[in-house]
Amino acid sequence: MPKSSAVTRRGAVRLGAAAAALPLVHIRTAGAAGKLNIGFWDHWVPGANDVMQKQVKVWADKNKVDVTADFITSSGGKLALTPAAETQAKAGHDVMTFFNWDVYNYLDHLDPLDDQMKRLIAAHGEVNSVGSYLAKVKGSWAAMPTSSGTQTKPPCARISWFKKHGLDLREMYPAKDEKNALQDSWTWDTFLKYAELAQKDNMTFALGLGSGVLNTDATDTHGALFHAYGAQLVDSSGKSQLKSDNVRAVLEYAQKLLKFYPVDAPSYDDGTNNRALISGKTALIFNPPSAWAVAKRDNRDIAADCWTFPAPKGPKGRFLPMLNFFWGAYKFSPNKSAGKDLIEFLMQRDNIEARCIASEGYDLPPYSKLTDFKVWDVVEPPVGTVFNYPLREASGQLPSLAASEAPPEIAVQIYNRAIHNQMLARLRDGQSIAQVIAWTQEELEGFVR
Amino acid sequence: MSATTMNSGASERAAGRKNSLHRQRLWALWGSYVALAVFAVVFLVPPFYTVVTSLKSSAEISAQVGSPWIVKNPTLENFWYLLTYPNFQTYYLNSVMVTVLTVAFSMIISVLAAFSLSRMGFWGSQLLSTGVFLTYLIPPSLLFIPLFQIVGSIGLINSVWSLVLLYPTLAVPFCTWIMIGYFSSIPKELDEAALIDGASYLQILTKIFIPVAMPGIIAATIFAFTVAWGAFLYPLAYLYTSNQMVLTVGIISDLIRGDVFQWGKIMAACLLASLPPIVIYAFLMDYYVAGLTAGATKG
Amino acid sequence: MADGSSVPAGMIASNGPPRASTMKGVARRKSTVAFLLCLPLILLIAGFVVYPAFYALWLSMLNKKMTAFVGLGNFAFLLKRHTFQLVIFQSCLFAVTAVVAKAILGFILAHLMHNIPSGTNQKIWRGLLLVPWVIPLALSTLTWWWMFDPSYSAFNWILNQFGLANVPWLGVGWIARLCTIAVNVWFGTPFFMIMYLAALKSVPEQLYEAASIDGANALQKLFFVTLPMMRNIIAITVLFSLIVTFADFDIVRILTAGGPQDMTHVFATYAFQIGIQSGDIPLGAADSLFMFPILAFAAFFVLRGVTQRSKDIAA
Repeated sequence: MPKSSAVTRRGAVRLGAAAAALPLVHIRTAGAAGKLNIGFWDHWVPGANDVMQKQVKVWADKNKVDVTADFITSSGGKLALTPAAETQAKAGHDVMTFFNWDVYNYLDHLDPLDDQMKRLIAAHGEVNSVGSYLAKVKGSWAAMPTSSGTQTKPPCARISWFKKHGLDLREMYPAKDEKNALQDSWTWDTFLKYAELAQKDNMTFALGLGSGVLNTDATDTHGALFHAYGAQLVDSSGKSQLKSDNVRAVLEYAQKLLKFYPVDAPSYDDGTNNRALISGKTALIFNPPSAWAVAKRDNRDIAADCWTFPAPKGPKGRFLPMLNFFWGAYKFSPNKSAGKDLIEFLMQRDNIEARCIASEGYDLPPYSKLTDFKVWDVVEPPVGTVFNYPLREASGQLPSLAASEAPPEIAVQIYNRAIHNQMLARLRDGQSIAQVIAWTQEELEGFVR
Repeated sequence: MSATTMNSGASERAAGRKNSLHRQRLWALWGSYVALAVFAVVFLVPPFYTVVTSLKSSAEISAQVGSPWIVKNPTLENFWYLLTYPNFQTYYLNSVMVTVLTVAFSMIISVLAAFSLSRMGFWGSQLLSTGVFLTYLIPPSLLFIPLFQIVGSIGLINSVWSLVLLYPTLAVPFCTWIMIGYFSSIPKELDEAALIDGASYLQILTKIFIPVAMPGIIAATIFAFTVAWGAFLYPLAYLYTSNQMVLTVGIISDLIRGDVFQWGKIMAACLLASLPPIVIYAFLMDYYVAGLTAGATKG
Repeated sequence: MADGSSVPAGMIASNGPPRASTMKGVARRKSTVAFLLCLPLILLIAGFVVYPAFYALWLSMLNKKMTAFVGLGNFAFLLKRHTFQLVIFQSCLFAVTAVVAKAILGFILAHLMHNIPSGTNQKIWRGLLLVPWVIPLALSTLTWWWMFDPSYSAFNWILNQFGLANVPWLGVGWIARLCTIAVNVWFGTPFFMIMYLAALKSVPEQLYEAASIDGANALQKLFFVTLPMMRNIIAITVLFSLIVTFADFDIVRILTAGGPQDMTHVFATYAFQIGIQSGDIPLGAADSLFMFPILAFAAFFVLRGVTQRSKDIAA
């Protein structure tokens, strides 16, 4: 095991700690050529981690590398905190999972992956615009967009409720690529109409206004809404666009929509909308299919009545909220080239598809040619319920990440502070648009540091 | 300690003497019981709800129908799941390990220091004995950011050993304080005599001080245990992978997966994690209460 | 113990003083040993409390990337932020309200407890009332969170039974503030109760009897006998609790993570958000340092209380 002395010391401490605490996942091969420590996102779908584990083992055996894989949960901010700690300590994993702006946050510590990305893009097609915004900095790939954890957050709604009110979701967005007139009328204005009906029906759309990073579902939804109106808080040059007509337009629209939000929307977290759907108390949520999957376990009748379909359209387009995950190799890693090999191996089509199947279609590969896996056609109940979950180019949707129009160092703060949600929460409390804009302006000034 | 209340009991029994006073006291007594009962009910609502939820299946919690305060189909599946769940076992073992080591280190450090500060003294020892307690003025919530860097630089980020290093700082000042109080109450003549008889300081400590101050040591031990078992901020900030986590953060990280909250299991885990402190308090509460209040009331 | 101590006292007298030079040697050796015994404590406190505290001070004066010295820039920046002004207000509100409530409730409970006959009976009551304090706070707060849950609040269910509307417990600023305070009071009151109970028990019954003979009523007894006798313990308990409450992290972090609209953030949670979650370590360090002046203010009184106490012991 050749490595520098500084690393040995740290490694020894780590190893001692790990040995004492019985690492859950540890693959050892005879005559290991090196050691590799990789941090994955801890998948909530049972069994998904195991498939990843098997794939890692295949690579480890072939390359005679001793690989330790950690599965790190995204709840409680753990997945965000780990790289923060490791880049401070300049020790830890060799390859780590990053999401949203974290690639940018830790840019100085990440080794470029341009060779790997060139090959992957040649095989899988282009990375979607949000993915490349987050990981491709000044023409160079700092991290590899991965399918593991990457998700969209489209509407997931009750088929029977919408049918009762005259909209057949499965006709509008069937489980096949199709264009029809109904889709053209699926706009935020239509959405407003149904939101009102739902409230009257005691099936209030479970839309949150939660704060911080507790309610990113809502942040993402509102980011897509703002994008659909072309409303930018800060433009790409870092200038405030709060006084623009588009911002006013979206806030005027929101004033109408907010009347039909749940009473306790500001205390929502990412689990609240799931619970509302599963208990049958809401007609629509914006979420990846985790809510549906839990309903399948706990309340199968409701799961069988759920349909996931594209987001409503606004004046400036149809934007789909998206959460991207990446793998990156640390510069300080002594074994980064092996790490890069491993993640490229894991991003081969067969491996991606196997993991997609294991996660019941939850994982989304953010490459344009990889939206054709069978898994999304067959997952049920009802068959085809998540067909529209991947971002298919044919649907005319554009990927959206709240605040991504701003320079990354400002955008990340807008996102983490859930500024969109807070603006709407203030609006709902009865503040005028001018007051809300004034408040936001003050917040934004604090971000330019 | 019980003399005063014994008096009141006795006066109740000797009711014939002062009838009005007796009636007044009886009213006060029953009033106290009623008020205490009200407080007890309010205080015990959350633990009760924890128990109720832990006995529900995930389908029953998801359904959200009927009273949340009762269980329709009690099940032990949550407990069973946790007891056979390797991660939870790891958290438990880590918590036990960290706590045992923290208690051991804290007690060794604070007993030695308290002995030295209360009896032997050296240049600056006076300052130290007041200074120790003042360390509480710099709480973990002020220290966790710089410690983040320090822990990182010694390679203990994401290692349960970082807690073994850091937790004693939470326990030692108070333990030392309690021990100084107990040791000071031991008559000086006792150890002076032993010294003259040729006993070493070590012997004085182990043969005289520790046995005499046993109640204080028990109280300090429980305090260190409580702190180490329940601490939240340091593990939240410094531990990331499930093989390193302790119970307080492990439960939150592991049973809340993204947007999927497994409330039944979370509540069952809370109960299982609260068990050791509850058991310890049930048996040793008197020592703890006495130790905790000794320092403050002796003055 | 009293018997044992009388004998050695006599022995000291009979042995007489040792020679001066050995005295010095013994004293020097003694103080070396004494210092060595304290060394683990000194190292621990110096390494993991004092050094980090100064390191925090240094960190707080760097820029975000930690590449340049900016002096008090971070502090000035924070003070200008509306959100941070809210944090200061809320930290004080949270700590002061919670401590006052705990002190009053603890006082009432201690009295109630003192009224009932001691022995097993009292022990059982005391045990029941101590439960909130025994459960690790981070875990019991999870239960509170679940009881406040917007989709299926157990409290709202009760309100609904009485025909009352749902309360958005953690969704509206002031209600959320009250909720965080309530959880802290629930957790901390038992501590006050046992401290005060011990103090009550140490008040000699004769004082009350004397007061009765002088014709004092219950209120007068409270103000002229009980409270003066408990003054010391009340001060120490309140100040200790003030420090702990002021630095609280668990409750706000778990219940609201600072929301809604930053209306429950306190120093610790805000520092966590900006320092660790948003990667601005210097600003986070600056934020948490704001706790120190307020704590030092408390320190002054603790110190005075403690020295007062040691004087009392000496007297």
